[in-house]
Parts: sequence; structure tokens; C-alpha cells
Amino acid sequence: MAKVTVENLTKKYGKTTAVRNISFDLEDNEFFVLFGPAGAGKTTILNMIAGIGDPDEGRICFDGQSMNFIESSKRNVAMVFENYALYPHLTIYENIASSMRTKAHREPEEVIDREVKRIASLLRLEGLLDRKPSQVSNGQKQRAALGRAMVRKPNIFLMDEPLAHLDAKLRNAMRKELKAMQDKLQTTTLYVTHDYAEAMSLGDRIAVIHQGEICQIGTAEEVYNMPATEFVARMFGDSEINILQGVLRREDSTLKLVLPLSNRSYELPRHTAEVLEASGRKQVDVGLRSSAVRYSWRPEEGYVKGTVYTMEPLGNKVELTVKTEGGAVRLMVPVTETPDVDETIYLAFDVSGGIYFDSDSKEYIVCQKETAGKEGKR
Amino acid sequence: MEQKKRGEKALMLAGKVLLVFYTLFAVFPLIWMIIIAFKGDSQMYDTLFIFHPTLANFKNVLTKGSYVKAFVSNLIISGGAVLVSVLVGVPAAYALARYEFKHKEGVAFTILSFKFAPEILIIIPVFTIFQKLKLYDTYFGMIWIYQFIGLPLLIWVLRGYFEDIPVEMERAAELDGYSKREIFFKMLIPLIRPGLVAAALLSFIFCWNNFTFGLMLCGFKIQTITVSALTYISTSTIHYGQMAVVSVIAIIPEIIMCLCIQKHLVRGLSFGAVKG
Repeated sequence: MAKVTVENLTKKYGKTTAVRNISFDLEDNEFFVLFGPAGAGKTTILNMIAGIGDPDEGRICFDGQSMNFIESSKRNVAMVFENYALYPHLTIYENIASSMRTKAHREPEEVIDREVKRIASLLRLEGLLDRKPSQVSNGQKQRAALGRAMVRKPNIFLMDEPLAHLDAKLRNAMRKELKAMQDKLQTTTLYVTHDYAEAMSLGDRIAVIHQGEICQIGTAEEVYNMPATEFVARMFGDSEINILQGVLRREDSTLKLVLPLSNRSYELPRHTAEVLEASGRKQVDVGLRSSAVRYSWRPEEGYVKGTVYTMEPLGNKVELTVKTEGGAVRLMVPVTETPDVDETIYLAFDVSGGIYFDSDSKEYIVCQKETAGKEGKR
Repeated sequence: MEQKKRGEKALMLAGKVLLVFYTLFAVFPLIWMIIIAFKGDSQMYDTLFIFHPTLANFKNVLTKGSYVKAFVSNLIISGGAVLVSVLVGVPAAYALARYEFKHKEGVAFTILSFKFAPEILIIIPVFTIFQKLKLYDTYFGMIWIYQFIGLPLLIWVLRGYFEDIPVEMERAAELDGYSKREIFFKMLIPLIRPGLVAAALLSFIFCWNNFTFGLMLCGFKIQTITVSALTYISTSTIHYGQMAVVSVIAIIPEIIMCLCIQKHLVRGLSFGAVKG
């Protein structure tokens, strides 16, 4: 396994820039996730590291050695492709064994047999080894493609949405397996996904990519609790975070927040108020996750009136979209609540749990979580 | 219910009867040809199925005249033409399927357009060119001109096959450590084999049966079988028996090839390994 460094990568296709000025480091044995919506440039980055496309600018290094313009067959990387890319004319066994039958990684047949069997039992492919890829299901193809990469001892594993085409149940199971494998095998892995749950559960660190640029690199906790931009905040979490426009107003010498849909001012935690004060902003965007929204079916002091607009039962809870005068608000309620559409509901906002963004640049200013440790329990 | 079953049965029977009639209709010319091959010239016109079979026609064709030589020449020309088509056509099809270059579609269309004009339309200029280049009556010239017949077909069929193979599969092989050459022979050729075999077989049949080029571009040293068959039409009489023998022998290589190649003509291998 190697330490991988990527410096200022830029890739253009004609006039469009697919990837702009991307830099990150992968520590030895780290599981690093590239996360972003479709078309963000994740696969392009992966391909450049694999050597499938050369960057227009920037450098890729494995253990300090520059890899630019080195053929992909000489880089010793293993990749799992989004569309499996198995060899259709070979059996699953031969597919998994293929790398050990090349000049570069030649192994004796006994070793090949042992390794293939080991990987097959790990991925539960034992009964399918004699079949052709067209004779197995998609999930099995996916596992075979993983197996073909896993028999190798490469500098780095590259995985391009390996779970994207599996059904939800299998995806969860495979995610857990990948996690367990990662702990056991200690490999450097670069993993591309557009599923935030995958990113958060697997990644030691996550790089959030948007339109070819990195928005933030951090642990799952960091990107969830302290998102660098509103975009990052929106990408993580179910249901999507509520972003409300707020106005800061000075009342009795303390800074207070006024939310337009309630027209009442909220007191802010001390640290948050200080940082907001220092930023000198009058307008801020407040990100409120569903846990920061309380609800009631009866009018209560400080609650805002709204009506239930949509209702999505998700098994153990129900996601509600509530229409208020100031816009739509999403929140989760327990499954025991069975509201009707158009029923009146009252909402209250816990602004101390909010994440505050600059309303112009949409960048992170402050949140309560970052100071929770410092201020202690009051 | 009972009635419906009976109706179905009747329909099936009718279908079978029709098929039998069609088979007779389709195979009869061949049978007729084989019958004629065993008839003497004297019995040619006044017998149908009952006659004294004779091998005189075979003896005549195989011992006298130039048929055996023409057969060998034909084999060399057609085989050589297909070989060249494959050697040139496979890389060309790959390039057209995988690489982006200027006027790509124009090049592809030009190749296809070689098949548009009937041979007879271009034969006179080709004839003069061949005379000037001293290609007239040579194997090289014939193999070259036969590229008109086989190459466009091969390129267009194989291009489709190459396009069906996902690029990622090649990339995966590259990452596995295969060299470009190994990828081509171990990964791509097996996948295009059905198309390659079918297109090569068709090219061979078209070349083998070609008449115009053989007639106009060959003379004394080389003769193709189709032209050689003509020699059995003399000014006074037509030797139908010997012509039938010529034709019967001429179809043998084609039949053998078809039978050998049949098992390679399996399609559907490359499907399902990509996104399902």
C-alpha cells in the first residue's frame, strides 16, 4: 500500500473543465471517499489516478514518486468499475484470476487457485466460479468485480460506485462487508460514491466535490456537523437540512436572531453570538436539521403555524414537509404520528442547534457543535 | 377446448407440409445439378431421373482442360483476399470504433461506398489501371481488387462488435497488467469472433463466386472457376454435364467452410457482462 498525493489536478474536455485544481493526500491504509452529485467529476479524478486519462495540469504521486504519464498497467492499481467491466468470455474464476496470469503479476497456478478460492469464500461466490458473467445476477457480478480487484496487492484500490447498481438491501449488506474488509485488510482505498450514507459509514475522511472542485475534506462528523458550505450541508442527511433566512438584530445589548416565518426573535448561544457579531453580518442563513425542529398539534407559545404538505412513511419514522408562510420545512416525526395532509401543525425552531452560513457566499460561519466541548455543560 | 386443440394440430400439420414443399423447391436445383453431373451428353435432353449414370463428365473435367488449375487459383485468390481483409479490416474496425479523429464518419462512409457501384460500372477504368500498373493477370492484382468485395463488409460488421464491447473492459484489463497486444488477442478477439467468422465467411463466398473481376482482369496465367466454367460452352455445343460437375465441385469448399465455422457463430457472449 502506498501514500498517494494529488496536487492541483485539472482536467478539461474541450472547453468544459471537468476537474479544477483538486488536491488531497491519502495516508497509508486510509479509506478516502470522494463524494458528490452526478457529474461532479469524481470518476474523472479516479480515472486520472488509475492512468486512464492524463491530467492537463497537476501531479499524481505514489509514495512521492510522480505517476504522470506512466501507463496504467505499470501503476499497480486495482479498480472496481461502476459497470463491473468483467471479461464476458471468461468464467468468474478466470476473471478473478486474470491479474495473476499476466506478465506483471504472474503467480504459479497453485497460488492462483488458493487465492481465488479465498476471495470467493470471502465474497460468497464459491458456487459461481464456473459461470460466465452473463449467467450471474448483478449483485454477483459486482462481487466478482470486487474480487478481481481484491486478489491483488496494489498501491491503491480505486472503487467507482461499486455498490450503485445493487438493490438497497444488498447494498447495505455489501457496505458492512466492505467496512469489515477494510478493517481486516488494511488497504489504501479511494472510493467514489454519490450516496451520503455510504460515504459517512465507510470513509475515514470524505472529500465533497461539486462542479469539479473540492468543497470540503473532513471526517464524517466534520462534514455533517460543520459543513463548509450550504451545498455540503444539503448533501448530507435525510431529510435534507432546512435552510432558513434569518436577520440578526440587537436587542437589550445582545444579538438575537429573527426568523421571518415566526417574526419572533431567538436568543443565541454565547459563542455563536460572538462569532456572528464579529462577522458583522446582518443577514444569515440558518441550517436546521430535522432534529432542531420541534412540532406540536396545538398552538403553543412561540410555535409557528403551518400545514402538512406531504407525508412519507419511511418505516420507523415519517418525513413531513410542512408549508408555512415563510416556505417549506422538512422534519421527521415518529411513526406513531399519523397526520392527514393539510392538517394544521405548529413548529418551533431550536436555533442553538443551527448551522450558520453567510447568506451571500453560502459559506460556513459558526455552529453550536464546534463549541460544545469548550463551553461544557451549562 | 377440444376443438381448439384440434385446430392447432391442423395448423401445425399444414405448416409442416408447406415446409416440405419449400424444401423441395429450394433444394431441387441442387439435386438437378447433381443429377446432370452424372448424365452423359447423349442422355442429357431425353431423360429425367432414369438414366445410366456415368463418371465421364468428372473424368473430363478433372483430367482435361484447366479446371483443376483454376480451382487452385481461385482458392489462392479468395483465401488471400479474405486473409488480407481480416488483417486490414480488424484494426481498421477497431480504430473506427474506439478512436476519435477528424472526418471519422466520412472515412467510414467512403469505405462503405465502395460497395455501392456495381462491379461492371468500374471495370473499364480498373482494367486500364491494371494494364498500366502491370497488375493484369496477377495474383496480387486479383487479391487487391477483391478487397472491394470483402473489406467494407468486414469493417462495418466488426465496428459494431467493437462498439458493443465496453471500453471499461479494456481499461480493466490494462489495470490488471495486460499489455495492449495481450488485450487485443486475449480479450477483444474472442469477443468479436462470431462477427469476424461470419464476415470472413461471407467475404470468402462473395470472392469465390465472383465472375466480373475474374473475367476482365485475368487472362492466360490465372483463371477463376467461374470463368473456367464458361469454357464448356463451345461454339457448336454446350457441355451441360461438365458444367454441372464444375459447379458441384465449386460449392464443396463453401459447404466445408460453413460446416467448420458453424460452432463459432454464437452470438450473445458479450451481452450481460456489462451493466445488466
